Amino acid sequence: MTIWSEPRFLPCGDRALSVELGDEITRDINARILALEYLLQQKRVPGVGETVPSYRALLVYYDPLVVGHDELTATLRGLLTEARPEVLPPVRTVELPCCYGGELGFELEAAAAKLGLAPEETARLHAEADYYVYFVGFTPGLPYMTGMPERLTIPRLTNPRLKTPPGSVSIGGVQCCIYSVESPGGFWVLGRTPVRLYDPTAPDPILLRAGDHVRFRPIDRAEYDAIAADVDAGRYTPRIAGPVATTS
Amino acid sequence: MSDLVVQDAGPLTTIQDLGRPGHLRVGIPASGPMDREAFLLANRLIGNPDTAAGLEFTLIGARVEFTDERLIAITGADMTPTLNGTPAPAWQGLRVRPGDVLRLGPARRGVRGYLAIAGGIQTPRVLGSRATYVRGRLGGLEGRALRKGDQLPLGPVGEARPHRLHPDRVPSYEAEPELAVVLGPQDDRFTPLGIAALFEGPYEMLPQSDRMGARLKGPFIEHTHGHDIISDGVPLGGIQVIGEGQPIVLLADRQSTGGYTKIGTICSFHIGRIAQVKPGGRVRFRRVTVAEAHAMLRQSLQTLDAAIE
Repeated sequence: MTIWSEPRFLPCGDRALSVELGDEITRDINARILALEYLLQQKRVPGVGETVPSYRALLVYYDPLVVGHDELTATLRGLLTEARPEVLPPVRTVELPCCYGGELGFELEAAAAKLGLAPEETARLHAEADYYVYFVGFTPGLPYMTGMPERLTIPRLTNPRLKTPPGSVSIGGVQCCIYSVESPGGFWVLGRTPVRLYDPTAPDPILLRAGDHVRFRPIDRAEYDAIAADVDAGRYTPRIAGPVATTS
Repeated sequence: MSDLVVQDAGPLTTIQDLGRPGHLRVGIPASGPMDREAFLLANRLIGNPDTAAGLEFTLIGARVEFTDERLIAITGADMTPTLNGTPAPAWQGLRVRPGDVLRLGPARRGVRGYLAIAGGIQTPRVLGSRATYVRGRLGGLEGRALRKGDQLPLGPVGEARPHRLHPDRVPSYEAEPELAVVLGPQDDRFTPLGIAALFEGPYEMLPQSDRMGARLKGPFIEHTHGHDIISDGVPLGGIQVIGEGQPIVLLADRQSTGGYTKIGTICSFHIGRIAQVKPGGRVRFRRVTVAEAHAMLRQSLQTLDAAIE
């Protein structure tokens, strides 16, 4: 894997820069990115605005009237020496019920055929894994996750769909994502969760955060419909386990 | 009760304020006005705080009725405003009275028009802002573009007198604007010829452009090896270049992250210029360093502060 020997500081116009640590999707690089972001927030560095973590980079918006590019780069370089996963707050594990196959998981059978597995086996393997949220983005609340067994590695769809329903649990490459709003998509849809990852009417519209763990709990269609009705009525609270013992 | 009554909404009229920064890390863009300068000036012309919420019109204006006496200001695209059928001046504070009807038509020059109203529009704040993010159904009025019959609550008015914009400062929106660009973050993924093509230009605005991004068409921008990257954050003004070698400039309602190469970033003080280029209109790019961009930013903020008489 490629981790730069020195961090790269890349200009993004007059009000932002990107700190890049490598060009691979690894937990190690991502944890340093999240730790750097956390330290920046904790230390309230003057002139720093919002930050956007991704797999291997942190986009940092800044006010150049308060802090110069070189000064900010020096500050970030210093913080990077402390940016280790141990500084991060304890992780959460969010449980998401998921109805696999059928009309909600409309590509389970095709994906299983592509993988040379039975649909039930594909769903079981998918549901057993522990998923890690690298970051949340693209559309509001969409988690970028890995954690699937290698057996489920699958090329993306050759012809992306124009519309994917929100809540669609889907896989592509080594990644798993859950569509948060209706959007185009190139991942295979294995199932759907009735839980809203993005709810614009809620005081806190976003469910998942970078660094969270996600577990899927297989449910049947009847339970899906029951939970969906509770979600609509504002009666459903997702199960979120507090800090787990290890912060791997 | 003081309301603004929407008699006819136009194709895309939204409530905007300076936006909701701070939520890109969970995929929610700041939104806010596409042409921030024109929006700020509208508020300043009538003594509103910069943060007051107003309306943004797109290509075609709207017809609105006022229910009490207060100041308003129209800025941005030239939408031939009339007040009760009589031509009304833009870029200066105006006093309206109960029953007055303001009409804004198709944009003759520019794309985005702005209306500031003394006291501001007072729909509920969502995540700290009244800005509308239509794709996310967030903010504004029920997270949507305005419709005929909507009534927008207005805040109380204080003592303020109308101001005018210095006549030299009224933008024409006619020329082919030149936009300052800082190279990066992925300029190393383009060939010298590709980078030269970007700055040679010009690039034409395509009609598919919206609040998320401006799609442009012009000289082919050549990659060294493919257009895919490991997804990273997308800055405001980021110039994404995909397979066909054509640029897309990411704007106020952009996706927070993306997996395509970004050759450069349009500077913040020139975002408003590209927001006012009509489909079929053209832009040019000029390369600047970060230090030059910061000097230009200071200059543009000073000019903005001195723009009102």
